[in-house]
Amino acid sequence: MAPRGSKKGSSDPTQNQTLVLDNGAYTLKAGLISSSSQILPTYEDCRVAPNCIARSSREKRVYIASELEKCNDFGEMAFRRPVEKGFIVHWEAEEAIWEHEFLNAKTGLRCDPKETNLLLTEKPNCPAVLQKNCDEMVFEQFGFSNYYRCIGPTLNAYHPPTPSSLSSLPQECLLIIDTSYSDTTILPVYSGQILHSAVRRLSIGGKLLTNYLKELSSLRHYNMMEETHLLNEIKEAVSFVAHSTQAFSKDLDRTWKGRIGDKRELDPSIVVDYVLPDYEHTSRGYARPHDPVKAMMRRGLQPMQGPREDILPLGNERFAVPELLFNPTDIGIQEAGLPECVMQSLSALPEALKASMLRNIMVVGGNSLIPGFMERLESELRAVTPSEYTLNITRADDPIKHTWLGAARFASNPDMLKSVLVSKAEYDEKGSTWLGKRFATRAANDPLEL
Amino acid sequence: MPLIEVLPNSGAVRAPGYAYVADTGYDPSKVAINPKDRKRVSHRPGGPPSGNELSARQQTAIARRIAELQRDNDPKQIINPPVKPIPKTSATKKILLSNKTIKNWLDDEEAMLQLQQQAPPPRDPARAARALVNRRLSTLASVPGTPFEANSPVPSIPAAIPRIEDATMSDDPLLSISKSVPREPDRAEIEALLAVPPLPYSASFATSSAGGTPQRFFCDNCGYWGRIRCLKCGTRVCGLECKDAHEGTRCLKWA
Ligand SMILES: [Zn+2]
Ligand SMILES: [Zn+2]
Repeated sequence: MAPRGSKKGSSDPTQNQTLVLDNGAYTLKAGLISSSSQILPTYEDCRVAPNCIARSSREKRVYIASELEKCNDFGEMAFRRPVEKGFIVHWEAEEAIWEHEFLNAKTGLRCDPKETNLLLTEKPNCPAVLQKNCDEMVFEQFGFSNYYRCIGPTLNAYHPPTPSSLSSLPQECLLIIDTSYSDTTILPVYSGQILHSAVRRLSIGGKLLTNYLKELSSLRHYNMMEETHLLNEIKEAVSFVAHSTQAFSKDLDRTWKGRIGDKRELDPSIVVDYVLPDYEHTSRGYARPHDPVKAMMRRGLQPMQGPREDILPLGNERFAVPELLFNPTDIGIQEAGLPECVMQSLSALPEALKASMLRNIMVVGGNSLIPGFMERLESELRAVTPSEYTLNITRADDPIKHTWLGAARFASNPDMLKSVLVSKAEYDEKGSTWLGKRFATRAANDPLEL
Repeated sequence: MPLIEVLPNSGAVRAPGYAYVADTGYDPSKVAINPKDRKRVSHRPGGPPSGNELSARQQTAIARRIAELQRDNDPKQIINPPVKPIPKTSATKKILLSNKTIKNWLDDEEAMLQLQQQAPPPRDPARAARALVNRRLSTLASVPGTPFEANSPVPSIPAAIPRIEDATMSDDPLLSISKSVPREPDRAEIEALLAVPPLPYSASFATSSAGGTPQRFFCDNCGYWGRIRCLKCGTRVCGLECKDAHEGTRCLKWA
């Protein structure tokens, strides 16, 4: 395939297509972007697949990534995730997943690394050794033609602020709140470049919330410690964030059973029964209003004839679990809650930047989809923002694919892309230590020249 | 069918092994996770209320439970891909065969950091790491760059280096944002800021400030307010009923 910039001669190794990959701990977001087409990429160009290998002991088989879409029985499914705390750690599993999703002609995007650029995103504060491992795998194992690795959320600066104003990119000041599976990070971005000294992290992410719900349900009802997939499904179906600390207290009262001699009625507007899937007739469960009689009937007490039901009643679990994003100390995690994380990040910036960041806050990541999350975050941020500052906070239209889309839009611009890519030939000549330095310093140099 | 089993009901009522505690807002578990907070606590007027102190055993229990909730992969569940990848170079062979977890890698990074500082281990690794970054920043600005850096605008910064506020220095981050009229940041200031290297992972956490929201305590069994404390393990429960359930399930589980 002839590179687009052929006017610069045949020495330009840049390929016409780029694999844009946001390699998350829970799902990977991927798509092939052409740098010659004039059409701006959209969410539709993004393919989402579980970033894991799973083993079903019942079906006696192993699933790789998107193969799980065809799975109907998640009972006792065990998962292995190559990404830990947001960083690629287990390359044997990741290799198999990338092979399956991108290279394989039958199951994947059919991309030939030799004719493809790779734009790979990473989490902030990645240990340098893991970055080096990643770079070596990309060039030496997969053999991509050209490659750029950067902190994913920074590429959200390449979304046009208004549909027609691409020319003003990257946005000058952008504060990204990325609340995802591994954790939640606050990333101040200036002209598409991360301001490292002000990046702040909260160790609460979707993984911890699911594990916490699993722990609570197992303590209070059934042993569900092997049912991570199911608990994640339940979390996504029933969780909500209380509007305020006061509302939290009120809801806690409404969902309390009372004490001996002073039994209380559970508030049916909050308490639900989750009907568990049996993985024979149903592969997904659903929530319905709480029925105290049915909830009392556990397995064994139900009729042998007719449909049997397993019900998981959910009361304060619905809001006490996501509450950890705002009050991590509730379970003894000694970190600042999300609104304070944002303020601590801002306090590490010069005054003028603080004001501009507050005016342009963008929330990405799956936890932002929990009902009530945005309202609580905005109202708590507003409470600590001095009145002379403007606060503008929005959630991305699709918070899961948004960072990928920012990266895809960056990759669709041949000039921007070319300025950051490193070719395999250059890597072979200079090595991985040089490459690590180049990706780290490049970030500080380029944006002002774009 | 998902694997589920009905948990046993709690045993018969026993002699009360609980104590009433007053919620004072003091958070003893801070000491458990952040040993560095010991200093702050001991400096607080009057010191910590005696009824809320956590034993070393309780602190370990909290830390273990959190580690379990934070875990990415189950070390007992090794799932190998159906087809083992064939390493193409010696470097990728080493990477593909590595069994290290993220905890191992982060511990390595911490050890490196301590070595670099060539000083006794800091009481607060986060603050020490940020101080290190600030030192690196001043080096960046004063020492002539390497040939690669010389192409960048960084070395041209005048002696005036912007002060990177250490967020943990002030207990109220708001104080610094509310004062002074915002002015346009000058270019040198921004370029210096952009040149700051990343913080190490362990230094990237926003620490909970002493003046933050008061600690809330919940019933370990049902999740309601934890008004009484189990004398055996120190965990809170809401009443006698939940105390019995607690003793039958989680009492001392993490100890
Ligand atoms: Zn209780
Ligand atoms: Zn106990």
